[in-house]
Amino acid sequence: MKFTQCELSEGVRLHLCETDKFKSLTCKVFIQQDLKEKEATSTALLPLLLRRGSQKFPSTLHIARESEDLYAAEFGSDILKVGERQILEFYFQMVDPSLLPQGEKLLERSLRTFWEIFTNPQGPGDRFLDSYFTQEKRTLEQDLKGLVNDKRSYALARFTAHMCAEEPFRIYKYGDLETLQQLENKTVYDHYQNLLWKHPLDIFCVGSNLDQAANLFAALIPSADRSVKLQKPVQVRVAKAHVVEETMDLNQTVLVMGYRTNRTYRDDDYYALLVGNGVLGGFPHSKLFMNVRERASLAYSVGSSIEGSKGLLTITAGISDDRREQAAEIINEQVRAIQAGQISHEELEQTKRGLISAMTSIHDNPTGIIDRNVIGIVEDELRSIDQVVEAISRVGHDDCVRVMQGIQLDTTYLLRPEQKEGARHGEN
Amino acid sequence: MEKISTPTGETVYTKTLPSGLCCFVLPKAQFLRTYGMLSTNYGSLDSKFGVPGAGSVDVPPGIAHFLEHKLFEEEDGNVFGRFAAWGASVNAFTSYTQTSYLFSTTENWEDCLLLLMEFVNNPFLTEENVEKEKGIIIQELQMYADHPSHRIHSLLLENMYSEHPIRLDIGGTEESVQQTTVQDLMRCYNTFYQPGNMALAVIGDVDPLQTFQLIEDNYPAWEQEAGPIERFYPTEPREVKQSWVEDRLPISRPRYLLGFKHEPIWEGKELLRQQIAMSLGMRLIAGRSSLNYEKLYEQDLITDSFSAYFSADPRYAYSVFGSETRDPDALHEALTGVINDLQASKVAEGDVERLKRQFYGAHLASYDSFEYSANRLISSYFRKIPYHSFLDVLQSVTAAEVQEALTEQLDWKRSTTAIIRPVNDHEQE
Repeated sequence: MKFTQCELSEGVRLHLCETDKFKSLTCKVFIQQDLKEKEATSTALLPLLLRRGSQKFPSTLHIARESEDLYAAEFGSDILKVGERQILEFYFQMVDPSLLPQGEKLLERSLRTFWEIFTNPQGPGDRFLDSYFTQEKRTLEQDLKGLVNDKRSYALARFTAHMCAEEPFRIYKYGDLETLQQLENKTVYDHYQNLLWKHPLDIFCVGSNLDQAANLFAALIPSADRSVKLQKPVQVRVAKAHVVEETMDLNQTVLVMGYRTNRTYRDDDYYALLVGNGVLGGFPHSKLFMNVRERASLAYSVGSSIEGSKGLLTITAGISDDRREQAAEIINEQVRAIQAGQISHEELEQTKRGLISAMTSIHDNPTGIIDRNVIGIVEDELRSIDQVVEAISRVGHDDCVRVMQGIQLDTTYLLRPEQKEGARHGEN
Repeated sequence: MEKISTPTGETVYTKTLPSGLCCFVLPKAQFLRTYGMLSTNYGSLDSKFGVPGAGSVDVPPGIAHFLEHKLFEEEDGNVFGRFAAWGASVNAFTSYTQTSYLFSTTENWEDCLLLLMEFVNNPFLTEENVEKEKGIIIQELQMYADHPSHRIHSLLLENMYSEHPIRLDIGGTEESVQQTTVQDLMRCYNTFYQPGNMALAVIGDVDPLQTFQLIEDNYPAWEQEAGPIERFYPTEPREVKQSWVEDRLPISRPRYLLGFKHEPIWEGKELLRQQIAMSLGMRLIAGRSSLNYEKLYEQDLITDSFSAYFSADPRYAYSVFGSETRDPDALHEALTGVINDLQASKVAEGDVERLKRQFYGAHLASYDSFEYSANRLISSYFRKIPYHSFLDVLQSVTAAEVQEALTEQLDWKRSTTAIIRPVNDHEQE
């Protein structure tokens, strides 16, 4: 599953992975920009606005009918956040044209539709259709307010806002309510045009007979001056660990602990950090799962993960509020154990094999094959699956311990149930 | 051994072993991953069943799920580490009707398959480890209790059904988990984990004959009594328990679900046909390509969470429409109008034909997912649905049938509306 790269024009890179393994053809376009308070909310509105209609398919109904006619072709868009970049993603998937009647024609029609929907929105030409703009502002407002409905995501967003209060990374990928209230149609439209034609663009395709797709993209995308220079993420060292508690009407306490690892994707020992995190909390055989869940029965869900561009390690657990201190203590013990070198040969091997297997499995998943490259385009260094597997297999016990000794606890965040008189829970 | 071609040009191999275990192999050339799923035809609905010599027993709700947690335990720890030694991952899930154990690996797939068969057939339950698991399961239930979409779904089924165990959460309640004993768990295990009540699917770049041989040579022998399982379900009245229920939760805006209760009268190919006709019809109501979607969306009565599904088994059948909404009462009124109109007017043939293309494409694409394919093979087998005829049945469903399904099944006298409003709703208005 190798990608071949070519530059269609300045700043427009086309990455093709030719394979007849899948029953589908998948394409994604990524446009990246610096994560900025002023613009994040504008970008977040774009996926909502673009799905409402284009010049040729003026409403959601028209787009949906076209997608049904094309045998369940999917046209989607979303926002990603990797490190201190905000990424606008356009997504397209259809059944492998060779399985469909008149597949070649359908492929051309689908790709033209894809490009039409994402670059030629419904409106008078200098802004989005006013009614769509008003409605989608409302949708984003509801989405932002609705973050409280998912306690885990809410806790993570609040945690990030506290821990990285002084860094762009604090910004939520869908922006914020205050900025949203002030946004005007024209501003968002200009921002959109700027993104489309001034920012670097990466197109990834996975499927068979990609020549036709490549030629079509080459014909569809005009060359432009995409010379915007992007920033590198801010790196911060921890001065003092702190604890933040917030409350909500809920049943379970969500505990989040954030560490600065002082390592990123660009460091040589990044893969030692991935292995260290795996030993700590990446798997059901990891220390956190074995000790917090299996031995102490304190949680159903507990684990840790790495944000590779910023170099953050984040532990999350859903626990009973009255046992939160015990849970935090057991978690700390696990981190200290690793730092003291207590990683058995078995733990290390299981973790490395688990990571390698997860990596290798990506070969079987067309969207996975594409998505794993996002950090690579942000960090301006694409790495193949084979390279990563090789790097992981080289990680030794001491590399892992050394890297984990370098992690520093920054913020502990707790989202706790409100303490009310005659509480609904906890009395029995 | 039976061979069935898929519409994507692949082949599903099926073999039933002398023990009664039904095995499926779907070879996938070029794929690096191998996926195995071992399931029992046993879920949260099966809480009353026959026990030889003891008539029938009732066990606490949530026990199928409890058992799923416990089978991972072994005398010297749990099986996660053993799978991890091959870099493999292992997991399990429980539904209303089925409990499934699965692994995914890129190495040593034969070892993984053997271990899967071994651990599911080797319960190690003690008073102590069952007691210890209760804390974990209760945290799992608490986590779901904080999910509004889970809560409204429970609220709907609890009030649509009066007697049928589908009204209860798959995991049971904190109380039922506390009540569960080793004896209850073993009783369920001994009844439902016999090979004749199970199925196994393997998907990957594997040889079907060798795979069947490997299973046949190594599937642990069943020492306990085996035979047909008697399952008892209470008589469920035709009517819904309550037609309108409301609750409040700390959420950002109201949620609305509308459910229709159906008589579970379909089996086999009929069930498949009904599923396709209802899914097409419900998409005419709730799909983005429907005329109502945009109108309701512009009025802020639905969001893109608006969706609909038909869920059916020989033991139950219901349909659900739902969305977050600005105003659940206004949405109810609007949806009532939409459904009544569609029932009265003629379902347009062109719309149905277009949707059939959509279903056709989605069906082909679904073969790329190992998880989906394995689960479909097994759950269709348990429910006796001839899934390989999906495209034939799809092609033959007519607009008139879709019309008939909607008209007969969406019966307002048998509907329940569930609404959850924000705790501080009055502050918002």
